[in-house]
Amino acid sequence: MTIRVWAALLVLAAMVSIGAPAFAQPAGQPNAAPPTEAARAQRERAAEARADKGAAADAREEAAPEHKGFENSRMAALFFWIFAGLTIGGSLFVITRRNLIAAVMGMVGTFFALAGLYAMLYAHFLAAIQVLVYAGAIMVLFVFVVMILNRPEDEPWALQGLLGKALAGLAIMYLLVRLSGVLWAIKDQPHAQVAAPSPPPVEVVVKGGAAENPGKAPPREDAFGSTRAVGKVLFNEYLFPFEAVSLVLLVAVVGGIAVARPHHREDDKKPAVTA
Amino acid sequence: MNDIFYKLTVSHFLILAAVLFAIGTIGVLMRRNALIVMMSIELMMNAANLTVLAFARYHGGTAGLEGHSLAFIVIAVAAAEAAVGLAIVVAVFRTRRHADIDRLNLLKN
Repeated sequence: MTIRVWAALLVLAAMVSIGAPAFAQPAGQPNAAPPTEAARAQRERAAEARADKGAAADAREEAAPEHKGFENSRMAALFFWIFAGLTIGGSLFVITRRNLIAAVMGMVGTFFALAGLYAMLYAHFLAAIQVLVYAGAIMVLFVFVVMILNRPEDEPWALQGLLGKALAGLAIMYLLVRLSGVLWAIKDQPHAQVAAPSPPPVEVVVKGGAAENPGKAPPREDAFGSTRAVGKVLFNEYLFPFEAVSLVLLVAVVGGIAVARPHHREDDKKPAVTA
Repeated sequence: MNDIFYKLTVSHFLILAAVLFAIGTIGVLMRRNALIVMMSIELMMNAANLTVLAFARYHGGTAGLEGHSLAFIVIAVAAAEAAVGLAIVVAVFRTRRHADIDRLNLLKN
């Protein structure tokens, strides 16, 4: 079973790194930007998508600025079905496994596939957040709790056998090859922007936009779902919910520590007052 | 008939989210391990997020970005819920040496 988990993770990593350049080709975005803006927005979106996926910076996708209708192509449908299958399969894996670590690994696969689906829906910022928060933070928390709860009578989750080692070696080799490819691409093109390109001067958009300050130029259009566009909405119209969420997180931190703290009496050294 | 496979619509994402939510519900109802139940709840939250983002893509524009803001807040709330819930699971396990929600019936009757 563990070998199957490794194989699924390997396939997932390969698919994400192959699919990320394809998703970087925008097509038929919901609010069509003017053509001068389109090329720049596309570069931005490509850089964001690459940063999201952590995939290779292929130089050839920079040289294809025209839209090819990716969203209506069979390629997009293929990726949707792959991601949908991974999501359903991973979630079924979660609710059917007896081994908790296996369930957590299926959950991680589900979250990665969901991030791919978010990227297909032009929610690039939320795809990145999904990978960072869910697949990173929350799943690490789950793994920690599983490690606390699983007492040493369970055997450690170690990969024995030649096939697992071969798979792991293949995965590591693949990772190294892709990483060196990225680094070589950076070295060969010192002007290549792997991170987000330096943004043009942004005029401050107050609530209501051009309607409230009619003297100025209309606010520039951002790519749908990009970090800047989401941030503008989040920090203008939804500033209060944003701050309320920070309060919720603070309460969660305090409550988590207060609940999970071991209850020892300070004055007498009795071992734990429980129940 | 083949258009179902080759033409992506909003319904594809909505049906996928519904199936995901159903799987999460089944996990909550069927499993007895508290950790699996919490993971199923996370699955249901992700299904809701997928629905929101599909409709955001469908609408586009500023309304869509409001949907993105909602999904962002849902993710933050899910993180808080996971932290508090796991703390409760750890506390329960510390006192009772198990995390079986069928045997946690202290408040029953």
